Amino acid sequence: MVDIAKQSSGRTSARDIAVWDPLIRLIHWTLALTILLNGAFIEAESEMHEWIGYIALSLVGVRLIWGLIGPKHARFAAFPPSPARVSRHIKAMLRGDQTIHLSHNPLGALMTYNIWLTVIAIGVTGYMMTTLTFFGIDWVEEAHETIFGWLLFSIALHIAGVAFDTWRSGVNLVRAMVSGRKNIPQGREVE
Amino acid sequence: MKLTFWSTKTKERRATVLAGLILLQGLCALFFIGDVVEDFRLDGHLDDPHLLLESVAAVALVGGVAFLMLELRGLLSRMSDMQTGLDIASGHLAEVIETFFDEWKLTAAERDVAIMILKGLDNDTIAQMRKTAAGTVRAQATSVYAKSATDGRAQFISLFMEELMAGKMGPVDAEVAHATGQNDDSLPPGHPHSSKS
Repeated sequence: MVDIAKQSSGRTSARDIAVWDPLIRLIHWTLALTILLNGAFIEAESEMHEWIGYIALSLVGVRLIWGLIGPKHARFAAFPPSPARVSRHIKAMLRGDQTIHLSHNPLGALMTYNIWLTVIAIGVTGYMMTTLTFFGIDWVEEAHETIFGWLLFSIALHIAGVAFDTWRSGVNLVRAMVSGRKNIPQGREVE
Repeated sequence: MKLTFWSTKTKERRATVLAGLILLQGLCALFFIGDVVEDFRLDGHLDDPHLLLESVAAVALVGGVAFLMLELRGLLSRMSDMQTGLDIASGHLAEVIETFFDEWKLTAAERDVAIMILKGLDNDTIAQMRKTAAGTVRAQATSVYAKSATDGRAQFISLFMEELMAGKMGPVDAEVAHATGQNDDSLPPGHPHSSKS
């Protein structure tokens, strides 16, 4: 059976599992784009910068709602932020256990929540800078910039994590976030 | 199969379009909510018709987003159900094929040739893919037909078509076929399922 499944060079083998729905993928790459634009290309004082910030905020907003009502792999329940799961995951990795998580793995889940919260914090401090009450107040601006630094650090870590897990699990995670499917290598457990 | 594949693609496109609409509408909703909040902060009246209209638009957009999200979730879950069904069907067919090949005691080379025959390749193409002479492939194919007690390509393929159309793709069937085939030598060699059908 395994032989035949492998030889039937079809569109999707039985081990190609759809995990990321189109909404998640759109949000992921649009959010990446907004961060790139606002961080690197758009004048920080401009109105464009504010609008892109609002767009980033609403992207996270839609994703959070989707985490409540979306399909299985999109839900918070599929990747709860749990230190216990993280430590179990790390121990499993050290043991050489190669179980594959269909949604985020426990470490990836932490990064996901971290990036959402960071983007929200940047959005909120950014919005505060436009209000009369907080306009020109130093600590708000400093917070905005410090948190952006944290975001850059998180993104670097996120990319490193994706590279590491792609190497460890053999599942190309970047491809999964583009096509929505995780290609699970032969004979691997999934969770 | 072709038809199902096509409609899967259509569904995927629909899902992508829905997702795009959700995002766009979400942005619009945010724009109107922001505008309402801003206007209210500036003049503090909620009875202004302009503001009222904007509030209605905001509420409608939020409702629309929620509705589209539910719609998308429904579509995605139908798609995943269908995919599961397809996987089971193709998985079971592969099992049935494997069982048949075991019954007929095909050699590794004959298995390859048999699978390529099932996929609709002619002998010359098979020879090219396996980098052997066309005569070798012809001999292997003849041996496959002989072992399966069929008189040629068409009948060989129809063995599996029969299996598909009879809807006998359950693993239980395959196992039963396997067991009976091994224990009962009086069965005709060609059809492992003949005792059941």
